[in-house]
Amino acid sequence: MPKIDAVTRELMLDSLKHYAKNKISSDFIRQCDAKNEFPSDLIKDMYKKDVLGVNLLLIPQEYGGLGGSTTDIYRICEALARVDLGIATSVFATFLGSDPLSVGGTPEQKNYWFSRIAKESLLVAYGATETDAGSDLVSLRTRAEHVVENGVVKGYKISGSKMWISSGGVADLYTVLALAPGGPSWFLVERGAPGFTQDVHEDKHGIRLANTAGLSFDEVYVPAFNLIGGKEGQGFLQAQAVFGYTRLMVAALGLGAGEEAIEIAVDYANHRVQAGGPLSEKQGYMHKLITPHYIRFEAARAFIDETAKKLDVSNHGQATEGAIAKYFASEAGNRAAEDAIQALGGFGYTKEFPVEKIKRDVKITCIYEGTSEIMEMTIYRGRWQEHLKSRGLYYANMAAEMDAINAKTPDLGADALACGLRGLAKLLEECRVQHLTRHQYVTFKLGNLIARAEVAAAFCRTLGKGATVEGCKFDLETLKAMCRVNAKEAAFDVATQGVKLILGAAQVADAAKLLADSELSSIQTKMHGVTEDMDKVSAKLRETFRK
Amino acid sequence: MNIIVCIKQVPDSSRVKVDPKTSTLVRAGVPSILNPYDHFALTQALKIKKATGANVTVLSMGPAQAKVVIRLALALGADKGILLSDRAFAGSDTWATAYALATAVKKTGPVDLVMCGQMAIDGDTAQTGPGIAYHLGIPQITFCDDISASNGKITVGKIIDGGHQTIEADLPALVTMTMPPDYEPEYPSFLGAFHAQEKPLETWTAAFIGADPAKLGLKGSPTRVDRIFPPPARPKGQVFRGSAAELSAKVIEILKKENVI
Repeated sequence: MPKIDAVTRELMLDSLKHYAKNKISSDFIRQCDAKNEFPSDLIKDMYKKDVLGVNLLLIPQEYGGLGGSTTDIYRICEALARVDLGIATSVFATFLGSDPLSVGGTPEQKNYWFSRIAKESLLVAYGATETDAGSDLVSLRTRAEHVVENGVVKGYKISGSKMWISSGGVADLYTVLALAPGGPSWFLVERGAPGFTQDVHEDKHGIRLANTAGLSFDEVYVPAFNLIGGKEGQGFLQAQAVFGYTRLMVAALGLGAGEEAIEIAVDYANHRVQAGGPLSEKQGYMHKLITPHYIRFEAARAFIDETAKKLDVSNHGQATEGAIAKYFASEAGNRAAEDAIQALGGFGYTKEFPVEKIKRDVKITCIYEGTSEIMEMTIYRGRWQEHLKSRGLYYANMAAEMDAINAKTPDLGADALACGLRGLAKLLEECRVQHLTRHQYVTFKLGNLIARAEVAAAFCRTLGKGATVEGCKFDLETLKAMCRVNAKEAAFDVATQGVKLILGAAQVADAAKLLADSELSSIQTKMHGVTEDMDKVSAKLRETFRK
Repeated sequence: MNIIVCIKQVPDSSRVKVDPKTSTLVRAGVPSILNPYDHFALTQALKIKKATGANVTVLSMGPAQAKVVIRLALALGADKGILLSDRAFAGSDTWATAYALATAVKKTGPVDLVMCGQMAIDGDTAQTGPGIAYHLGIPQITFCDDISASNGKITVGKIIDGGHQTIEADLPALVTMTMPPDYEPEYPSFLGAFHAQEKPLETWTAAFIGADPAKLGLKGSPTRVDRIFPPPARPKGQVFRGSAAELSAKVIEILKKENVI
């Protein structure tokens, strides 16, 4: 069976867009949002294989699915988020809920459950979070006790509770993390199992079309066949194996929601005439509220796509990359939606215009699948290890890579970024020498600066190949202008914020040397042109999103 | 029964903008779509396929990117796709295009029914379908909004001035289809899109179909375009405000001024 090729992916995205246009009106979404209602019939319709069959993407081909790659699924997540992040979350919940099976299931389990998910269009939920166990799964309390018959473990009795479970109140099938005698393990639990109850739909700030509910298990019996992988104690490994992948999907959700908000704002600004011209022609308006966001989106897209391509080869892992993608894209989407409200002024503050809802919705991408703060910590931990292992060469090598890109393609700002990355290597080293990572805030901030630098590097790498990423709406020249702005600003931010961080945390004997190490003096000579490039990008945004 | 549906990839004209400075069409960044009339013709062909088990081949002429609309047709249920793609075809007008497509139709073997959209939304000429019928030497029925087939005949609904005709015709024949105003194009399921990857999609050159090079491209195209320009913008309307009595008096005043009453 073939893999999904690029043309097929575009056909699928097109079908999804037409389906949304014809079947999911803005009035319908607004009503569900107001009523805090999960559109059950709609999701079921989207799962029908002769209508869309969007859920088939996550099911391997041998079990009746389409075996979608990471690239296929992130593009669908992005497109769904543009329609409604609650609907996207509901579909994503099925993807997420099936992951433990995908990673750890035995061939028999995969055959049985995936075939059923495909044939019966089952909604699946992922049950990990508990009152005391969110990002910190070690504090897991839900237990699975052996049920022994004739000396053989015949099944398990699960007791405990879960909270904040996406599709928790509406799913047909649940993957549930519980502490078995042999350690944390994933179990499959079907709706309707005696002793298994679902709480009411949470009254949330946003994604109100996505059902979120707690789960209670009172000695819920599952047969031994429902222990994923057939071996106890694999739960954490199975959960961690997919973090790179699942967080990449949340990155795509943040990206899609942010793009939608900003494109609505540009369209508005094209039509709103103030002081003799449309707002979209006012430099201050565009450079403050619009343009920086789209530049970040394109940088995020390059990073997400690069990581997706790696996951398409390796299947699992890429935990740090997944964290960088999620952190950068979800924060970018969230800030963009905030500014989209501002860009629409009073209109933006009403429910008549969708940006207010997008803002409420997109905030969740900075929270679920690990908060932004957990992402900062994860990014820091992952790259700190690389810094130590490589004896400080990790970012020096990346800087050399940027120098090589700059030698071939000198109009990407890769030279500025190379300085920023060399500075980052030295700032990390200073943190090591001064033991500054004992301060938790320093580690968070390092995570932030690392993400900024690495996303900028991915953007340079992509354009250095002369390539544009699927789904991008701009020509190469516009993307290069975006890349220059992003690379220069990332380098400047890493140097200035890094120096500020260290000065605040340590007794620095030679501040001038620290400043020199940050390469700020080299970076500042390369900053010129940012405003002109922003002007170019603003003009292109105006043209591209004129309806 | 063998049906060939001729389809074209066109820019989504609802998204094409006019450059306010040069008055030319800005096609950059405008998505390409399957011409809606062709989309409807394909849907009708697939309806016949469902009823009779007919074999549906889609035929298009264009650059390699046009394979996307052939894939769409395959995803919706067509059996085979053929793309005519060759530099020799570049610059062809409707006459040369009709010649090339008709030559390709002959190359596919015996064909019972050729279906086309009434026209393509990028040119609005409505000449290619009838041109193909001429080159094939088969009868044509244009402006059809419905079609069915049985026992080697077709029955079509044809739109005429002030009415509707029902025509029965022997095969082979060519019909051009026009869609009803409320027509919503169908799009494939993900599964349909996926399985289209496995269906045959061939690229044919001018030499392969045995076309006469003198009848192709600019050389084979008698049409000469003087210039293309957008129609002049309509002057802005005037808005009057006031009570019903004031406004009706105003309307009468304007009608008199314009010598309408």
